[in-house]
Order: sequence, then C-alpha cells, then structure tokens
Amino acid sequence: MGNYFSSMFDRLWGANKELRILILGLDGAGKTTILYRLQIGEVVTTKPTIGFNVETLSYKNLKLNVWDLGGQTSIRPYWRCYYADTAAVIFVVDSTDKDRMNTASQELHLMLQEEELQDAALLVFANKQDQPGALSASEVSKELNLVELKDRSWSIVASSAIKGEGITEGLDWLIDVIKDEQL
Amino acid sequence: MSTKTYKKFENAGSGDLPDKMTVYQDCMNTFNESPVNPKRCRVLISRLLRLLSNGVAFPENEATALFFSISKLFQHQNDALRQAVYLAIKELSGMSEDVLMATSSIMKDVQNGSDLVKPNAIRALTYVLDESTAFSAERLLKSAVVSKHPSISSAALCTSYNLLPISEVTIKRFANEAQEGISDLKQFPSIPYDEHSLLVGEFYPNSTYMAQYHAIGLIYQLKKNDKMAILKLASQLANSNTLKNQLAKVQVVKLIDDLLARDPQLYRQFEEILLSWLTNKHEAVQIEVAKVISTFSLRNPRLVSPERFSYIVTTLQSLLAVPRVSTRFAVLRILNKIAMVSPEKIAVCNAELETLINDSNRNISTYAITILLKTGNASNIASLISRITRFIHDVSDDFKIIIIDAIRTLSLNFPQEWKSIVKFLIDVLKNSEGGLKFKNTVVEAIIDIVSFIPESKDMILESLCDFIEDCEFNEILVRILHLLGKEGPYTSRPSLYVRHIYNRVVLENSIIRSAAVVALAKFALTKNDPTLKESIVSLLNRIANDQDDEVRDRATIALRLIEFSEDDSTTVATELIEPKYFYDLPSLEAKLNNYLNTNDDSFKTPFDASSVRRFTEDEVKAIELKRKQEQALTGTTEGTSEPGAKKAKSESTTDNKGFAGPSVGEDEQELLNTKYAEKLLAIDQFKEYGKIINSSKPVSLTESEAEFVVNGIKHIFKDNIVFQFNITNTLPNVALDNVSVTCTQEDPEASQLEELFTISIDRLLPTDTGSCYVSFQKNDELVIEGFLNNLLFTTKDVDPNTNEPYEGEEGFQDEYEIDSLYISAGDYVTGSFIGNFDAAFDELPAEEIAVFNIQENLSLQEVIDKLVINSNCLPLNNTQFAPNDSNSHTLKLFGKSVLSGSKVALLIKMIRSSKGIALKVQGKGEDATLCSDLVNGLM
Repeated sequence: MGNYFSSMFDRLWGANKELRILILGLDGAGKTTILYRLQIGEVVTTKPTIGFNVETLSYKNLKLNVWDLGGQTSIRPYWRCYYADTAAVIFVVDSTDKDRMNTASQELHLMLQEEELQDAALLVFANKQDQPGALSASEVSKELNLVELKDRSWSIVASSAIKGEGITEGLDWLIDVIKDEQL
Repeated sequence: MSTKTYKKFENAGSGDLPDKMTVYQDCMNTFNESPVNPKRCRVLISRLLRLLSNGVAFPENEATALFFSISKLFQHQNDALRQAVYLAIKELSGMSEDVLMATSSIMKDVQNGSDLVKPNAIRALTYVLDESTAFSAERLLKSAVVSKHPSISSAALCTSYNLLPISEVTIKRFANEAQEGISDLKQFPSIPYDEHSLLVGEFYPNSTYMAQYHAIGLIYQLKKNDKMAILKLASQLANSNTLKNQLAKVQVVKLIDDLLARDPQLYRQFEEILLSWLTNKHEAVQIEVAKVISTFSLRNPRLVSPERFSYIVTTLQSLLAVPRVSTRFAVLRILNKIAMVSPEKIAVCNAELETLINDSNRNISTYAITILLKTGNASNIASLISRITRFIHDVSDDFKIIIIDAIRTLSLNFPQEWKSIVKFLIDVLKNSEGGLKFKNTVVEAIIDIVSFIPESKDMILESLCDFIEDCEFNEILVRILHLLGKEGPYTSRPSLYVRHIYNRVVLENSIIRSAAVVALAKFALTKNDPTLKESIVSLLNRIANDQDDEVRDRATIALRLIEFSEDDSTTVATELIEPKYFYDLPSLEAKLNNYLNTNDDSFKTPFDASSVRRFTEDEVKAIELKRKQEQALTGTTEGTSEPGAKKAKSESTTDNKGFAGPSVGEDEQELLNTKYAEKLLAIDQFKEYGKIINSSKPVSLTESEAEFVVNGIKHIFKDNIVFQFNITNTLPNVALDNVSVTCTQEDPEASQLEELFTISIDRLLPTDTGSCYVSFQKNDELVIEGFLNNLLFTTKDVDPNTNEPYEGEEGFQDEYEIDSLYISAGDYVTGSFIGNFDAAFDELPAEEIAVFNIQENLSLQEVIDKLVINSNCLPLNNTQFAPNDSNSHTLKLFGKSVLSGSKVALLIKMIRSSKGIALKVQGKGEDATLCSDLVNGLM
C-alpha cells in the first residue's frame, strides 16, 4: 500500500520520467570527470572518451539519465545523434585553454541552433578553476558570447571537478529550471 | 501492432521473415523511448538479427541510424539486453561506419561488467578497435586473457586472435598470458546453494576447456614464423596430459602437420604420438590424425611404412560404421583424397563403401560411389557401373554431376573399358531425367571419350545421332552437331550422319538449323567423295531458301566454299571449316582488351592477330589432357590443416613451382608466362627478335627465404636467348640500385652463345620485385649450356618515412651468388599429345639409348616428377603416377621440338633397388640431335 502511494506521488512529481541530460564540450574539458563526480562523488582516472559514457543517477527525487559524449574532433559530428528528447545540456569548458575558447564558442552556438535542442536548458561549467591562470566565469561567458543567447534559460558556473566545487550548485540551478519549465 | 502482424512475427517456424521496414520503424521508435523497456527491446533486436542473418541488408544511412538508436540502450543495465546489444553491434559493424562510438561503453563493460556480459563485450571489441585504440585496450584485454572464468578468457583469446592483423604490436605482448591459457584448466565459478549450479555439476561438464583451443590458436599465430618455437610447443603439448579439450588436441595435430610440411624428417619424432591418438576417445582427433598422416604419406611415401598406413586405413574403416553422419562424411573425404592418388590402398574399405551407397544421406552415398569408382579396377568396373545405373535415377542433379565427373576420370584412366562406360553414359543421357547442367556434363564426358579414345568414335557418334532425335536442349544439340561435323567425316559411314543432321534442319528451330548447316558443309569439304558432296550441295541449295537469315547466310557461304574447293583454292575453306590452329584464349583476350583500350586512330589499323600464341590441335589436346590430370592431383593438396598453415603451404608451392611436381597450378603458370612474354616484347631491344618460341617455367635460383629471392626464366627466340631474372628484395629498410645479373658460361671456350646486353633494374625498394634481362646471340640452332650467375647491385638505406633512400647516400656495391641456370634440351621441347603412343614410338626413325643410375634416396614418384620437368614432355597413358606396390615403372613421354616441330618420344624404364634407381631411357625422334641431346641431358 505504501508503495502504491509513493508511486502515485512520484507520478505527480514526474519522478517516473527520466530526464536526459547531455554533457558536451571540447576534448579534455573534464566531462567524464564531472559525470562520475556526479554519480559516485569521486574523482576517477579517465581516458579520452571514444564514444560516450552513460549513467543513470537520482538527484533530488529525480532520475537523471546523463550522457557524456566524447569531445574529440572526430566524435563531435556524432553529438547530434543523441540530441533527441534532451532536457538540458551541460557544456563544459576548460577555463585554462584560452587558445580554444573560440572553437568552444563555435561548437556551442552550432549545437544550440539544432531544432531538437530548442527547449533544452543550458548550464556552462567554467571548469578547472583549481588550475592557475584559469579564466573566471564572467571571462569565459564573454569568450563564449553567452549574452547573445535568447529564448533560453542559461547559467554559467565556475567549477572544479577535481575539488568538487561548483558542480552541485550548477546542477541545483539546472534542476530548478527544468522543474519550472518542463514538468 | 495488430494481432495479425504480431502473429506473423511470432511464428518463427513458418520461415517467413518479418517485414524489413516494420522492424526498422519499431526498432527506431522503441530504442529511442525513455525509459527503456528492456524486454521489448530484446525481442526487437532478435527480430533484427534474424533479418540480418538471413542476408537482409540495410542501406548505410539506415544501418547507421539503427546503430545509434541501439547504442542508446547502453543506458540500461539489464545484462540480457546488453548481450543482445552486443550481438547487434557485431552484425551492424559491417554496414555502419560509426561503430567506434560504442568504444568507451564497451571498454567500460570489459572492465566492470558482470561475468555474463563481459565475454560479449570483449568479443565486440574486435569490431570497434583500430590500431591506436587497440593500444589503449591492451591492459584490459591482457587481464581478461588471464581471467579465471573460462568464457571470459576464451573471448579475450579470440579477440586477440582477430585483432592480430589490426594491431600486431599490441597482441605480440600477449604470448606469455596465452601460454598460461593452455596450462591453466579454467572452470566455471561455482555458486554455492544455487539450484542452477547443481544442474551444471550434474548434467553438464563443468568446463569444456575451450580456452585451451583458443590459446593454442593465438600462440600459433604469434609464433608461426619461428619453427623452433612451434616445434617446442607441439612436442610439449603432445607429450603431456594437459589438453582436455578435443578441439585443442585437433589443433595440436594441425600444428604437427604444419611442422611436417616444413620438415618431413620430423615425422619420426611425432609418429608414435600421432598413432597413439588414433585410438583417442574423440572421433575428431582420430579423423584429424588419419588425415594428417595420410596426406603426409602421399607427399612423402618413403617415410610412412605400409603397415602404418594400413593401420590408418583400418581406423578409418571402423569409423565408417559410426552413427554420426558428419564423422562418416569426414572419413569419406579422407578416403577420397587417398583414392585420388593410390586407390589400391583403400581397397579394403570397399565392402563398407558399398553398403554406404544405400546410405540415407545422399552426400554420403554419392561420395561413396565416387570413391568406389576410383578404387575400381578393370575387373569390377562393369559391376560398379550396373550398380550406379540403378542408383543414379534416384538422386538429384548435383549428385549426378559429381558421379558423371568421376566416371569421366575413370574413362581416361581405363581407356580399355570404354565400351561399358559409353553404354552407361548414353543410357543416362537418353533415359534419365535431368536439367541442362547435368546433361551437359554427360555430353562433355562423352566428348572427352571421343577425343581421347579414338576407337570409341563410331559407337558414340551413332548413339548421339539417336539422342538428338529427341533432345530438348538447344545448347546440347548444337554441341553434338558440332562434334558430328568434326568427327563424322572421318568415320566409315559418313552418309549416315548426313541424314541425321539433315533431319535436324527439317525439324528444328533456327539456332539448330544454322549449326546443322555448318556440320553438313564440313562433310562436303573434308570428304573427297563426289556423290556425298553432290547430295550435300543439293541439300544446301534447298536450305538456302530457309526463312531465317542466319541459316540462309550460312548455307550460301557453305555453297560458295564448296564451289571454291573444287577450284583447288582450298585454303579459305579449310581455314574456316578445319582450322589448323587455335588461339591461346587468355592471351587473345588480353590483346583484344589492349587493342580496344589503346584506340589511337579510331580503329584504322586492324587488329593484329599474328602476335597471339597459337596451338595446333595436338597441342590443344595436350594442354587439355594435362589440365584434366592435374584436376585429379590438386584434389589431394587442398584443404589441409588450418588457414595459417594452408597459406604458408600454398606459398611454398608457388615458390618451388619449378620443382614441386610437374602439375601444380599449371593454369596460372600459363597465364603468368603470357604476361611475362608480353612484358618482354614490349621492350624495344627485343622487338626485332621476333616471336618467343618457348619460355621455360621459372626456376628458383635462391632459397625462398634468402635476402634476395631470384628466379630465372629462359626465353628462346629464333636466333637469340634471353634470360629473365625476377628479383625480389626481401631486406627491410634497404633499397637496391642498378640491379643486374652477370652470367658466365661454364665453358667459355666452347660456348655457342655471345652475350649482347643486359637490362638492369634501376631501383628495387623493400619487398619490390623487378625483372632484369640478359640477352644472347645464338650461333647454333640447338644450344645447350650452363651459366654461373652473380647478382650485382648497390645497397642504400631507406628512410622509413618516405620509403625512399636517404638523399646523398652513395651506397655500397655488392655481389650475391645465385645458383646456375642451365639451358637443356628440354627447353626446346614442348609436351604434345598422341593417341597411340606405342605405334608412334615404333615409327620414329632416330634412336638413342642411355642408362642412368640414381644413387640419391628418391622415390619413383620423385624421379618421375623430375623427368617430366626436365624433359618438358607430356606424360601419356597415365604413366606419371608411380605404382606404390611395385619397384619398377615405365614412363611414356611425348613431345615436340619448338623449333622445327619434329616429334620426340621417350620410353623410360625404371627399377628401384637397394642401391638406388636404375633408369633406361630409350628416346626416338625425327631429329637425331634433339633426340640424343634430350636423352643424354635428362638427369
């Protein structure tokens, strides 16, 4: 009986539905580290992702289906195969990699033009804040031209996946937005 | 989904395939759903797999879309679903380019997956890795190889094996782990207090130890070039008791076979162990051992004693009675191979074979019959044929064709038995049901008999006349009409055939009518019988009013030709009706292609056919007979051991083609020769030499594993001789510049040859092959000499990045001695066919007799092979096979001079004794010099 009620409850809150979240970004930005930081709360040693990693995790009574797609040039064209039904995109930027900010910006804007992602919320992690010489969140925001984004809920959060800083804050914002807009 | 389509899908036994588009749509919809429904996805994947396994293919874009939707199923952690996903990825990898997207997910399963999905994940790795990613999987794969779980270890070994061509460097580091896989007896982990594990223990063996088999396979691939390592592995495994898996044992037998192929002397070392495995409890092991020893003994008859061989045959004989169909079939295959070379050895099995004729499995009964036909001898052919007559009407066409082919070989081997064979063939042709392919095979067999056994001509032609009165196949009718036209005029009663042929003109369709017209014309042109000619002319006049264009045209031209022939200007007619020579078809095809492709002046210059090689009728027959004899032989060498070993073996046979026996790959040889000749004649300096009169087979002048592999070909022109040296540079990282060969006469004083010039090779990069030519002027028609040869070249180190020598490198001049090349009388002779050897032999005028004694320890067969190669003549009357049960043999060889066309025949008697082999060579020929040179230079 208790089970029955709780599942009724879940259905009310939409918890039965899984939320699809993509983690994208250039290679070496820290996507896989963020994914496992979210799932098991630890830092794992990673290899460049050829393809993708997918994990299901519960967060604040929600079931999240998190896809971490490889960021290498050869794999970026395949991102689009996984856009359908996506509730949110987490875009990870290596804040120390000033040379490739431009590329990251291009990839980001190209991706956001996709029809399938029109309703998706965007969370940008200005990652690797623990490293010396990292750009601040506002500097990254400028480099990525985020202010140009219209009709979309977005936020940028300074983070360090290694130290675990900023990740939960960012995700909290994202979940609130999704709950407001999509559930 | 409606109930109807649902039913249709579920009824797997009905044989209906699910609809391709429905499956595609269902897959796309369901796989992209969230959350994933694992049960339903599994059902859909199984449907998809069923389609794929039935050969249904998806276009690339659909396959890619399918792959991506399937890859999304990785989000669900259901093991059963994951297994299905891996199967699908494996199948789709061939159609979709993007399977690498699954790499990370697969690797994760290999590392952390459950024991259930790990093997699948490891096997799927094969399809997604390339050289760079294989490197990153090394550690994972290595730990999987040494896993205690047998399925995981097996999967990892298989994957390593398959990755070998992709990333040799990585897999090479697995040798030790794989070795462990053999000795480590892995068992499935038992799960205490689980119902399932009880079942496993009670009803199934705890492990099949399959990993042993996979490990041996991988180790062989890693070490196959290291003979000593393989030898060590094989003797270790053969003498210990570690092997529990039957396939692993079979694999060891194959390893031994591979070793024996490299060094026959090792047989002594392995004989005992092999023979002891003949009583192994696994039939597969027994069969493999029997196969290895029997094929080995056919190649090296001296090393296997007859008692041992008969022991093998007894084992095979007892296996013929086992209930398992596949075992019986495998045994029959081995017996068949033995029967091809020495049928007398398996005569003991005849009783079993005869009972197998009635086996319910048609494959087996047909095989049994073909073997019986081979073991048959003159005395029991008739009874065999009567048995087959009863049997043949019950089997399908495919089997009939096999039987007819066997009978055809039989007729060539026992020409004296032609009567009963022909009777049988004609009976089958007339009375049995069958399609075109089958009837065509019968007709082909009959045509063979006509052309090789002249005595049978009258009877066969008459029966064929009967047959064409009622034949439903145009193709066959036309062939028979052609045969009648070709052979009919030379029989005793040509008018009989004319009547039959004319009947066809009256009764049949235009295709057959045109063929009949040509046949009729031949009777008029080749037979100098005025009354016959007159009646044919009047028949043709009548046909000239035929309603069909082609028939009319042919009749008209035939009439014109007959008219011409009366004026004695017979050349056109005879050329057309009775050509004296035939073109070498492969070379004609190549020339015509070339002509069409190099169209410079919109075909104003007509095609020049004179440069195409031509054969006279005798030569064509010689080539055909040779080809047929070869077919019988090549059957014995096929299908030995595993792919790797097989490849190595076929390589070695190509290398030694000059020595390996007179008959290996003759077809390819012909083609190769044509190619060489064309290349040669394209060089300006050789153009004025005229036509190549004869080209020898390539003779190896170095060991096949030397740093430079060289073979030589002798091209003989009217006034010149050209040596072609094909040189392969096997040195890695070294280029050879200005490669040439110096040839020094063994006896410069007496030489009849004058060196003109050498064409060298500018540069040979690693693994390249090039040809260098040395040209001589010939002062005598028949020159027989030997040459000492030296390879001259400049070595330069190669830059591995550009694959070109480093700039400014001067290099070192060097020399390399290669074997001598001899021009022998055989180079002036080519094999030729003659129907009646004995009569021809007596008629030839010049005679020469020589006696040789061979001290070396050779078998009769080896001597025969050598004689056939040295003399370049065609063995006749099946004398090229030495009897196994006798110490004496007579070899009959017939050939023709390539210069003058004069005939030469050799009758070689050989006796084997404890001191060696004594040969008495009696040569007869039209040209006394050629005859004596050939006889005296034979050994």
